[in-house]
Amino acid sequence: MGFWDAVTDLIDAATPWATVEAEAPADTPAELAPASESTEETTAETEAEEPAAAADEEEEAEEEEEEEDEDEIVDPKETLEEAFHLYANDSPTPTCYGAQLETEHDVLTGVLLTECRNSKECAPAKHHYDECVARVTGAGADNKEDCVEEFFHLAHCATQCAAPKLWNVLK
Amino acid sequence: MLARTALRSTRTFASAKNGAFQFAKRSASTQSSGAAAESPLRLNIAAAAATAVAAGSIAWYYHLYGSASAMTPAEEGLHATKYPWVHQQWFKTFDHQALRRGFQVYREVCASCHSLSRVPYRALVGTILTVDEAKALAEENEYDTEPNDQGEIEKRPGKLSDYLPDPYKNDEAARFANNGALPPDLSLIVKARHGGCDYIFSLLTGYPDEPPAGASVGAGLNFNPYFPGTGIAMARVLYDGLVDYEDGTPASTSQMAKDVVEFLNWAAEPEMDDRKRMGMKVLVVTSVLFAMSVWVKRYKWAWLKSRKIVYDPPKESATRH
Repeated sequence: MGFWDAVTDLIDAATPWATVEAEAPADTPAELAPASESTEETTAETEAEEPAAAADEEEEAEEEEEEEDEDEIVDPKETLEEAFHLYANDSPTPTCYGAQLETEHDVLTGVLLTECRNSKECAPAKHHYDECVARVTGAGADNKEDCVEEFFHLAHCATQCAAPKLWNVLK
Repeated sequence: MLARTALRSTRTFASAKNGAFQFAKRSASTQSSGAAAESPLRLNIAAAAATAVAAGSIAWYYHLYGSASAMTPAEEGLHATKYPWVHQQWFKTFDHQALRRGFQVYREVCASCHSLSRVPYRALVGTILTVDEAKALAEENEYDTEPNDQGEIEKRPGKLSDYLPDPYKNDEAARFANNGALPPDLSLIVKARHGGCDYIFSLLTGYPDEPPAGASVGAGLNFNPYFPGTGIAMARVLYDGLVDYEDGTPASTSQMAKDVVEFLNWAAEPEMDDRKRMGMKVLVVTSVLFAMSVWVKRYKWAWLKSRKIVYDPPKESATRH
């Protein structure tokens, strides 16, 4: 898009009688809908979200570059919460919780793991849950207890801590 | 007849009330002598007997049913964590890229069991798909036509005005195919569940690898802490990399869950973006009108506010008439 196109677009957007049309997503195959491979995509009558979409694409491009060497997709929620579950099993090693959070999944896991290890929030819940599991599995066949309540407390604590971090990672 | 019965019943009720009232009055008037007649021993016996009955009923229940637990956390289900959804903020819209991804997840994953029967293809146009995409999608499915000259109902390809097709013919077929469990329609599911988006996201991502020790999971059920009762017929469906996103977003479980939940929220309240814009308009117009009214009031009251009442006494004259 040339310079004057941009100017006319701006003017069009500013005039109240103009109709706003999104850019036709014809060029990139990534924009094709899964259902309509065969259809021509001419004009998209979506809302004018071009700048946002462009920004998104840039971000994606960056992310893709960063994640090219990653074959597997790691679910951030799981890693976050596992970090909590694993808390009691690992000896805490203090590490900085840096800004390189959204770079790579391995780094993400490692950083969050240590970060969550250092946080003492879920230590009591984890302790109770572990104790309950040991008790119940040790009791054998005549066991009448379950660890659902302890599990709830632990899961509640872990998700509570992971929620904002998860939303930073997810798109 | 009904009215007469009702009247009669009220009359009897009124007389009963009167009787009770008079009785209360009478006992109140004879309170002093009556209270003296009650001995403390009898009161103690009554209290002890009531306590014994209460304790005995609990013991009997325990004897009959084995456990006296009620309102356990498992029955309630784990309360969903609150997630910072962007689209729920006051001045934010749906992320339509996320809606598009969520619709893809719905079509590729959820739609095999869950219907979305209140969403027509035309609703997707302009929010999730382009016109051509929506038309092509509609034409993939067949719908009944109007009866022709012979009264036969034929099939035609779908149009934009058609609704998304259901995976099953009816609820019975859905139950039969799903081991007796009915997959709910997802059109309004965000509004229909306590916790809304948070609940559905937690439910989709909350399946643990294995149920906690000692937890009983019924046959054909799966353990999910967020589902009331913790036994849910739906197994975990979202796994990392299940969907290939067209925009290259890494399809982790929580990413897919987030997108599909946002899409379901759109399905439940497609008017949200417009509603928020309308709310903004209302705020703008009312604030302008309020400001105008303040100025107008100032203008109209100016004569009253700026007047000065002066008592100007008549000049004292020396001569009296």
